[in-house]
Amino acid sequence: MEITRVRALLAKEFLDLARNRSALVPVAIVTVMSLVLPFGIAIAVPAFSGHPLGEDADLVRVSQVAGAAENLSNDARIQLFLFQQFLMMFLITPVTGAMALASHAVVGEKQARTLEPLLATPVSTFELLTAKVLGALLPTLAISAIGLGLYLGGIAAFAAPGVAAAMASLRTLLLTILVAPAAALVSLQAAILISSRVNDPRTAQQFGVLIIIPLAALMVAEFSGSVWLSTAALAMIGASLVALWCLLSLCSVALFDRETILTRWR
Amino acid sequence: MIQASHLTRRFGQRTAVNDVTFEVGRSEIVALLGPNGAGKTTTLRMLAGLIAPTSGSIAIDGHALTRATGGTLRNRIGFLTEAPGLWDRLTIKENLRVYAGLYGLGDADRRIDRTLELFALQDRRATLAAELSKGMRQKVALARTLLHEPAVLLLDEPTSGLDPEVTRNFRMLLDERRAAGCAILVSTHNLDEAERLADRVAVLHERLVAIDEPAVLRARLTTGRVIVRVAGDPTVFVPTVQSIVGPAVVVAVDGTMLSVQLADADRQTPSIVTALVAAGARILEVRPEMPALEDVYLHLMENSLKPQASSVSPTPGAA
Repeated sequence: MEITRVRALLAKEFLDLARNRSALVPVAIVTVMSLVLPFGIAIAVPAFSGHPLGEDADLVRVSQVAGAAENLSNDARIQLFLFQQFLMMFLITPVTGAMALASHAVVGEKQARTLEPLLATPVSTFELLTAKVLGALLPTLAISAIGLGLYLGGIAAFAAPGVAAAMASLRTLLLTILVAPAAALVSLQAAILISSRVNDPRTAQQFGVLIIIPLAALMVAEFSGSVWLSTAALAMIGASLVALWCLLSLCSVALFDRETILTRWR
Repeated sequence: MIQASHLTRRFGQRTAVNDVTFEVGRSEIVALLGPNGAGKTTTLRMLAGLIAPTSGSIAIDGHALTRATGGTLRNRIGFLTEAPGLWDRLTIKENLRVYAGLYGLGDADRRIDRTLELFALQDRRATLAAELSKGMRQKVALARTLLHEPAVLLLDEPTSGLDPEVTRNFRMLLDERRAAGCAILVSTHNLDEAERLADRVAVLHERLVAIDEPAVLRARLTTGRVIVRVAGDPTVFVPTVQSIVGPAVVVAVDGTMLSVQLADADRQTPSIVTALVAAGARILEVRPEMPALEDVYLHLMENSLKPQASSVSPTPGAA
């Protein structure tokens, strides 16, 4: 693999994105929602309604599933539980961004008729797909990281005492630096794979968005208290996602059929 | 430089290119002529290593073009695709810079500046591709194709949509590339362009119908008619011509020209000229009647639809 070629294509992706910022609107919206919802539910609503979270017996019961620190008050424990659950939203943020960008990756080039001259250069399929993955992943992760910073900063500033300290755990670390990027990579790679096999970006988006379904199911299961992803479980999920990404990468290269793309797409 | 040997490409049941063999030498321009769907683009794509032939082989600069060697050999090839394929949200310079990176050009800025200068695009370097006219886009695409100074140029309908001035500049540029040793294969619908530009013309209609110098191709259709242009009224010299060719042969008069069908033009033409000069004619021009390349092309296309194959000389000088 020639790094200079990947760098050249990556520079093109970033320039293109810089002049088409609307492509990042979906990920920005999801990031804002990921910030507004938890703070609204855990802090603003109880403050304005005058009903502390600790008064709700169901919430107290569910929050104990999370195995939250015993030294916290009921309010703080429920806040911790909610903030941990909403952290899962930051899994969906990069996935949304990935979908928005990656589904256009190959089919978009084909539709703009820029793919043929590109393939006539010495660039290899692996280099091309690497640049496409990084070109969508890096901006998405950057936005997601900013959102995460605001999220953790907001918890430190507004949540009950002890919540921020309890959030600073290995579980949070795994979720944010392993599981979220790995989920984004999987969805990206899947979108790019699909993008190189279909004629229409909308088809790629529709297929790619399917990855949201298991993530949403996981969130609902956690909220209901029926599932609690321990640190070990998250580590396993992260490792599985990385393995799945490797597999999808190999499939993407193997299934990227230059001839079919050039001769059968219209 | 470019060697295509028995190239065949099928798409399912359809044969796009059938047993095509030809060569393009160093410092040579070959024009690929053919109707829509004749296999021109497929042939160019195979030569660019974008699609593999179903059978047959390709060599670029003596190296076999295969899936394994394609990446390396594409460094020596410049392929101008039918559509310019510019990234609309990037400027002209940014478009070229990406390709400089893809070809691993160390002195990218210098090369880009030089190429922009060559195409008189210096002042437009910061213009977004989306804002360019069709002709300008084609110009930038051509600049991109030449950026890495390839030894082999494959050009698919390069002057399509260009105005006459840009077309002329493009021809001059190709002449320069030819002088620099490039092997150039140009697909075109424009017969006039093919004649002006190319050293040889290849007529493709799924298979290679003919390949030769334009003059030689035209000579294939030569009817044996000779045209003599004289000063003054040519009708007075009709009997003189008939004294050589026989009274039964019709001598046509058209303006200041006499036109006559000869059984053996090489033997009879000097005798006619001698007789006319002796009769006091002031001869301005004597030439065999040559069909236009368009007539040759149409004739070849007509014949290509018949089942028998035309004899084709695929290599330069072998015709």
